[in-house]
Amino acid sequence: MLTSTKNMKKILYVILIGIIMTGCSDELLELQPNDRFTEDTFWKTQEHVQLGINACYQTLRQPGLYGGGVPLILLESVSPNSYNYTNSLGVRAITESNHNPSTAGIISNLWSSCYAGIGRTNTLLDRIEPIPMDAALKERIKGEAKFLRALFYFTLVNNYGGVPLILNEPNVAAHSLLPRNTKTQVITQVLKDLAEASAGTVLPLTYTAGNIGRATRGAALSLKTRVLLYNENWQEAATTAKQVMALNTYSLFANYRNLFLPDNENNNEVVFDVQFKSPEFRHNFDIILQRFNTAAPVQNLVDDYYMSDGLPITSSPLYDPLNPYKNRDPRFYQTIGYVGGKFNGQVVTASTFPQTGYTFKKFTVYEDDVVKQLVEDNQSDINFILIRYPDVLLMYAEAQNEFSGPDASVYNAVNLVRDRAGIPALSAGLSKEQIRQQIRHERRIEFAGEALYYYDVKRWKIADKVLTGPVLNSRRQTIGTRLFDPSRDYLWPIPIIEIEDNPNLEQNPGYK
Amino acid sequence: MMKTLLKQFIKSGIMLFLCFYMTGAYAQRIAVTGKVTDEQGITLPGVGVKLEGTTTHTTVTDGNGNYSFTNLPADSYSLSFTYIGFAKTMQQLTVRDGENSVINVSLKEESNTLNEVVVVGYGTQKKVNLTGSISTVNAEDIENRPVTSSSQALQGVQGLYVNQAGGQPGRDNATIRVRGIGTLNNNNPLVLVDGIEYALSDVNPNDIETISVLKDAASAAIYGNRAANGVVLVTTKSGKQGRSKIDYNTYIGSQQVTYLPNLITNSVQYMELKNKALANESRLPEYSQTAIDEFKTGADASIYPNTNWFDHVYKDALIQQHNLRLSGGSEKNTYSLSMGYLDQDGVLIGSDAKKYSLRLNIKSSLTEKLSVGANLSGFYNDFNEGVDGTDRLTHMILRALPIHSAYLPDGRYGSTFLVTPGHNVFRNPIAIATEGDNNTKSQNYLANVFLEYKLPFDIRYKINGAINKDDALASRFVPDVFVYNPKTGVQQSRVAFLNPRSAQRINTSSTDLTFFNTLNWEDTLAEKHNITALVGFSREAFNDSDFIAYREGFASNDLTEIDAGSINPRVSGTSTRSTLMSYFGRLNYVLNNRYLFEANLRYDGSSRFAKDNRWGFFPSVSAGWRMSEEPFMQNIKWLDNLKLRASWGQLGNQQIGLFRYVNTINLGQDYSFGKDIASGAAVLASNDPNITWETTTISNLGIDADIFAGKLNFTGDVFIKRTDDILRAVRLPSQVGSLNGPIQNIGSVENRGYELGLSYRDQINKFKYNVGFSLTKIRNEVVELNRQTIFNGRFITQEGSPIEAYYIYEAEGIFQSLEEVKNHAFQTNNTAPGDIKYKDVDGNNIINGDDRQIRGGTIPEYTYSMNFGFNYSGFDIGGFFQGVQNIDTYPAEHPAFPFYNGAGATKTWLTNSWTPENMSAGLPRVTTSVGTPNYSNSTFWLKDASYLRLKNLQLGYTFPKEWINRAKIDQVRVFVNAQNLLTFSKMKDFDPEKDITKGTYYEYPSTKMFTAGLNFTF
Repeated sequence: MLTSTKNMKKILYVILIGIIMTGCSDELLELQPNDRFTEDTFWKTQEHVQLGINACYQTLRQPGLYGGGVPLILLESVSPNSYNYTNSLGVRAITESNHNPSTAGIISNLWSSCYAGIGRTNTLLDRIEPIPMDAALKERIKGEAKFLRALFYFTLVNNYGGVPLILNEPNVAAHSLLPRNTKTQVITQVLKDLAEASAGTVLPLTYTAGNIGRATRGAALSLKTRVLLYNENWQEAATTAKQVMALNTYSLFANYRNLFLPDNENNNEVVFDVQFKSPEFRHNFDIILQRFNTAAPVQNLVDDYYMSDGLPITSSPLYDPLNPYKNRDPRFYQTIGYVGGKFNGQVVTASTFPQTGYTFKKFTVYEDDVVKQLVEDNQSDINFILIRYPDVLLMYAEAQNEFSGPDASVYNAVNLVRDRAGIPALSAGLSKEQIRQQIRHERRIEFAGEALYYYDVKRWKIADKVLTGPVLNSRRQTIGTRLFDPSRDYLWPIPIIEIEDNPNLEQNPGYK
Repeated sequence: MMKTLLKQFIKSGIMLFLCFYMTGAYAQRIAVTGKVTDEQGITLPGVGVKLEGTTTHTTVTDGNGNYSFTNLPADSYSLSFTYIGFAKTMQQLTVRDGENSVINVSLKEESNTLNEVVVVGYGTQKKVNLTGSISTVNAEDIENRPVTSSSQALQGVQGLYVNQAGGQPGRDNATIRVRGIGTLNNNNPLVLVDGIEYALSDVNPNDIETISVLKDAASAAIYGNRAANGVVLVTTKSGKQGRSKIDYNTYIGSQQVTYLPNLITNSVQYMELKNKALANESRLPEYSQTAIDEFKTGADASIYPNTNWFDHVYKDALIQQHNLRLSGGSEKNTYSLSMGYLDQDGVLIGSDAKKYSLRLNIKSSLTEKLSVGANLSGFYNDFNEGVDGTDRLTHMILRALPIHSAYLPDGRYGSTFLVTPGHNVFRNPIAIATEGDNNTKSQNYLANVFLEYKLPFDIRYKINGAINKDDALASRFVPDVFVYNPKTGVQQSRVAFLNPRSAQRINTSSTDLTFFNTLNWEDTLAEKHNITALVGFSREAFNDSDFIAYREGFASNDLTEIDAGSINPRVSGTSTRSTLMSYFGRLNYVLNNRYLFEANLRYDGSSRFAKDNRWGFFPSVSAGWRMSEEPFMQNIKWLDNLKLRASWGQLGNQQIGLFRYVNTINLGQDYSFGKDIASGAAVLASNDPNITWETTTISNLGIDADIFAGKLNFTGDVFIKRTDDILRAVRLPSQVGSLNGPIQNIGSVENRGYELGLSYRDQINKFKYNVGFSLTKIRNEVVELNRQTIFNGRFITQEGSPIEAYYIYEAEGIFQSLEEVKNHAFQTNNTAPGDIKYKDVDGNNIINGDDRQIRGGTIPEYTYSMNFGFNYSGFDIGGFFQGVQNIDTYPAEHPAFPFYNGAGATKTWLTNSWTPENMSAGLPRVTTSVGTPNYSNSTFWLKDASYLRLKNLQLGYTFPKEWINRAKIDQVRVFVNAQNLLTFSKMKDFDPEKDITKGTYYEYPSTKMFTAGLNFTF
C-alpha cells in the first residue's frame, strides 16, 4: 500500500512535469538565425559596410564574369585570335553565328552576374549614408561601389546594348518589369559613376596589404578612358588617359611574360584585376590553356605577329615560310606555345596542343624551361588583369590620333609599349590612317589572350570582316568556319529566360 | 477429413467435460489443465492462456503445448487462448469443487481480416472501423525479400510510388511518393517510427512489424503540418507474452548490374566512326589513318587495346545479411532485442557498405495502472565509394574510350598515346574508383521512452519523449596517382580527381527532440455507442550542424590524416534550428457497429513562418457505413463485409528553407585582396514575410468488400488531392539584383486519381494460393499559378499541365534532302540532310523557343503491382510485379548522345545512323553532339521510362513441424530469391527505374539480386 502511494506521487510528478513542459508558449517557435544577418540586424555599422562592399567584389568571380575559365574561353575565342572546339558555355555557337536567345552559357550567365553586382552596389549605395563610420572610408567605399557598378553596366552595354538602368536597392515590385534603357542613358550613368569615383581623393592611388585589388583612382580613370574610347569620345578619352599617365603610379613591367606570373601579381603595370586565392577562390586557366586547349590561338593571330625588325611577315626579309617561328616579335615567344618551342620545360610537339597546334602561355603558371606538375581542374588562382598600363597608353594613342592626328605624344605612347616588348619603334612620318592601323595591330598583339580584342573589332566595325571565314590551325588546315551576321551579331541576344520573366524587355534586332 | 474428425472429437470432448464438471459439487481446490494445438494437431508452445473468474490468472503453454492452473476455487470461468497468427479462442466453464478440468483446444489460424488491427496516428484501430484510406504492409510481406533498405519494403503498396534508383551500397536512393506530387517543394512523406520522426533508411527492415501508409486527409490530419505528402507509420517488433523466442534469419547472394549501355568497344570502329562524325561536320579527322592502321595491326593489347571499361569496373558482388532477434515476455514485461548485420559489396568496384543495427523494445507494467517502456535503437552504417563520389565516377566510366588502356603490363595505370580533343585529360576510371579513400560512417541512436497511466474513468494518459541523434563523418583522402602512356611508358598526367592531394573531413550532426502526450478515452455506451476520443500536444525541435575541415600539401599517399597536410587549410561550419508545436485531437464514434464517424483536428505552429502566419488549423471529417452489418444484408451469405467510406480533410506543408519570411543577408560572399580573404555579406534571395502554410485538401471516397468467406477482398478509392497556396520560389528577372525569387504561396496543384486493390486467396486441399492486383492512376495538373509560367531548363510548370512537364521541340523526323532543309523552317546555319527536323509550331518559318511544346511528364500516370503466392505442403512460391506507365525521362550527354565532349558512342550509331545510303535509319547522321542542332531538347531524345518488372520471386520450403519439433525448433524455412529478375521496358541503355528527373546516365546502376537464405525460430 505504502509503495503504491509512493508510486502514485511519482506518477503525479511526472504528469505535472509533462504539463509544465507543454507550456503553451509561442516562444518555442520564435527563432533567430545564427548563421546569417537579417534586415533588422544589418546595415548598422562600419563592419557591415565593409562586408557589403566585399560582396560587391565577389560578383566579379561569378560564372558569367571572371569566374571559371570565362574570360579566356569566351572573350578571346569569339575574337579572331583563338578557337573554341567544344562549344564551352555556348561560345562556339557565337563564332558560327548559331547562337540565339536560348543559347545557354555565357549569354545568359553574363547578364545575370552583372545584375548581381549591380544589385549589391545599389544596395550599398542606398544604405551607406546614415551609417556612423569613418568619413573618409565611407567616401572610399562609395567610390569603389560606383566603380564596380560602372564596370558591370559597361560590360552589359558592350554585349547587349541598352539594358534596364536600375540605380536603387533591388525591389521586386519596382524593378521586375522595367524595360530597357537606351545605350546612351546607360553610358551616361556609367560615366557619371566613374567621374564621381575618380573625383578628388575619393579613391586612393594605391592600397596597402589587405586591401590590394580594390578600385583605385587610376582604375576609375582608366575604366573611364575605356568607356569614352569605346564610345568614340576621342577628345575626352585622350584627356582622361593623360590623367592616368600623370598620376605617375604606373610603369611598364620589365618582362612581358613575367608580368603574368603568380610571383609578379599586383605589379606596377596592373591597374585593376580580379583577384583569386587558393584554395578558396580558384579558376581553370591552367588546365584550359595547357591541356583542354579550348582557347587555342589560331594561325591568323600567329601570322599577325611582326618579325623582330618590326615588320609584318609579308614584308620583312627575315620571314622564312619554312621556318616561320624564327625571328618573330619577342612577344610571340612569350605569349604563344608552338610546335618546336618550349613550354613547361618540354618541347612542344604536334600533339601537345591538338586543336590548333598552339596555346596561350599568358595566365598559366608554366615557364618555358622549368618542369612543373600540371595544374588540374579548378586549381589555378592567378589574378586576371582587366586593365593594365599599356592599355592606357595605347588607348591614349588611339584617341589622340583619332582626335588630333599622329602627334609626338601618340608615337611616344605606342613606342613605350613596343620598346618594352623589344621591337623597333614606329617609323616616323606615318599618316593618321597608318598610325591607326599600327595601333590596332599593337593592341591585338599586346593584349592577345586577354579578352579585349572581341570588343576592339566590334567597335572598329571590322567584325564582319575578321570574324568570318575559315579557322586555320598551325598546318593551315581549316578546322572550322566563322560566321558573323553584321545585321545582328554586333550585339548578343537578350537571354530568353530574362524575357520569359520580364516580357517588357525588347529583343535585339535579328534574334527570334 | 481427418481434421474435421479431430475437431469434432475435441469439441465433443470439451462438451463432455463441461457436462461432467457442472454436475459435481465438492468444496475442494480444483485444477484446470490442457493442451493447445493447431488445427493439424501440432502442439503450440507459448500460447497465452487467461483464466478469468473472480480472480484472473494467466500463464503460457510450455514446450509441449501444455498449460495448467492449479489450486483454484470452484467458480465460473472464462478461459481464453491467444497466439499470434491464430484467432483468439474462448471457453466458458464452471468448475465444481474437486472436479479437475482438462480442456484441450485447437486454435484456428487467423485467415480473415475482420479483426485486423491497423496502426493509425497516435494509436491503433480495427480495420473494419477505418473510415480513412490506409495501406498496410506486414512483416510477412517483407520477410525474406532481400530488401537492403526499408524503403524497398514499401514497393507495391497501393497508392504509393517507390522508385529505387540504383543499387549503391550504403545509400538509399529511393523516392517515395504518396498519391502523386502535390507540391513544387519537398514531396517526401513524413516517416514516423514508433511515433517519432526518423529516417526510413536507418530502420532495419527485419525489425518492422507493420507499416501503415496514411494516404487521405482523414487518416493523416492528426499529423497536420507535415502530413500533406502522406504519412508512413512504421511499428517495430515488440516482444509477445509467452515463451522466449529466438529468430534467426539470414541470406547470402549475388548482385549483378541490370542494364548498361552498349558502347562501341572496338577501337578501330570507334576511331573510324568518330572521324566520320567529324567529316559530317566538315571537320578534320582526329585519328590519322596511321593511327587506325596501327590499331588494326598492333598486337600489343596494352598499347592497342579494345577496352570494355564495364568489364573492369562492374562485377558481380556479394551480399549477406544476418538478423538475430530474442523476444518474449511475461504477463508484466515484454522485450524484444534484435541485432542485424548487412554486408553488401557493390557491383561497382570500390563501393561497399556494412550496416549494423541494434534495437531493444521493452515494456513493463509497473502497476495495474502504470506501464512504461522504451524503444532504443542504434544504427551504424559504414560505407565506401569512389573518391570523387558516385556521380562523377559513373560519368568518367561512361566517358572512357576503348583506345584507353586500363593498365600497362607492369600494372601502372594506362592511358593512350593518341590525342583526342575534348578528352585531353584521361581520368582512368579504375583509379577514380579504387584509389584514395571516401568513407562515410554514420551512426544514429534513437531513444524513445514512454509512460502510460490509467486515470479514472478509463482515461489513458501517455507521455512520450524521444531523442533522435544522428552523426556522420565523411572522410576523404585524395591521393596523387598517375597515368602512363602505354607506348612510351612515360608518365602522362596525374589522374585528375576533383581535388589535389588533400584530406577532408565533413562532420554532420542532427539532434531531433520530440515530445508528445496524449489522453485517450474509449467506452461503449448502451452496447451500441462506441466512442473513442484522443487529445494531445506535441513539440519538436530539429537541430542540424556541420563542420568541414580540409588541407592540402601532403608529402605522400601513405599518411592520410589532416595533420599530415601542410598548406591551404580550409574550415567551415554552421548550424540551424527549427521548431514545431502542435495541438491535436480525434473523436471516433461507432453506432451499432455499422455507422462510423471520425473527426480530427490539428493546430500547428512552425518556426518557418512569421509570427502572424505561424499557426495553421487542419481539420478532417470522415464517415463509414458497414452496409454488410445491416439486417437487410444479413441473408447475403457470400458477402462478409461491405463498407463505404468518405472523407474530407486538410493538411499542411511547411517544407521550405529556414527564415524565408525575412530578408536575410548571407555570409560567404567573400573576396580576396592580395591573397588576404575578406568576408563579404549580401542578400541572395528576396523574401516575402506573408508566406504561410501550403494547404492540401483531400477528398476521398472508398469501398471495401470481403466476399466468399474472406477469400476475395476488394478495395477501391477515388480521390481528389488539391494543394493550394503552394509555396514556391518565384523566379525574378535577373535585373532585380539577380536575387533568387521569394518563396510565395502562388498556386494550386491537383492530383485526381483512383486506387483499386483486388486479392483472392483460397485453398484446394493442401494447395493454398493467393493473387493480388493493385492499380493507382493519378493525373497531375497545375490548376492555378497566378498565370505565371515557371521555366526550369527543359521543364515547364504552367496552368493546365502537370508539374515539371517537358517543354521541348517536337521532332518530326529526319531531313532527307537539301531541298527539304530549304523548304522547312530555318533551324540553324549548319542544318543538313540527316538532321532532325523540328516542328514549326507557330508557323513563322523559324525554329526558336516559341516552337517548344509540352510533351511527356515525370510523374507516372499509372503505377500498378501484382503479387502471387502458392503454398503446397511446405513449399511456397511468391512473387511480386511492379510497373509504372506513362512516365518519361530525358537522358542527355554521353552515351545518350554520340561523341559528347570527347566521349565515345553506343553501337547503334554504327549501323542505325542516317547516311544517303541508309535514309530510313532511326538515328540522325552521326556527328559529335556539339556539331549540329540535333541535340537541342526535343522529343527525339525523350525516353519512355514505363516498365513492368518482376521485382521479386521467391521459392521456399518450410520443414514439417513434426520433424523439427523434436529438435526443439519451432520453424525452419529455406528459400531462394531473385530480385529484379525480369524487366519489360522500352529503355535499353539504362535501367528505367532510375532517377527520372536526372538528365544523364551518371548514376549508380540498378542491380539484380539472387539470394538464398534460412529462417530459424527456436
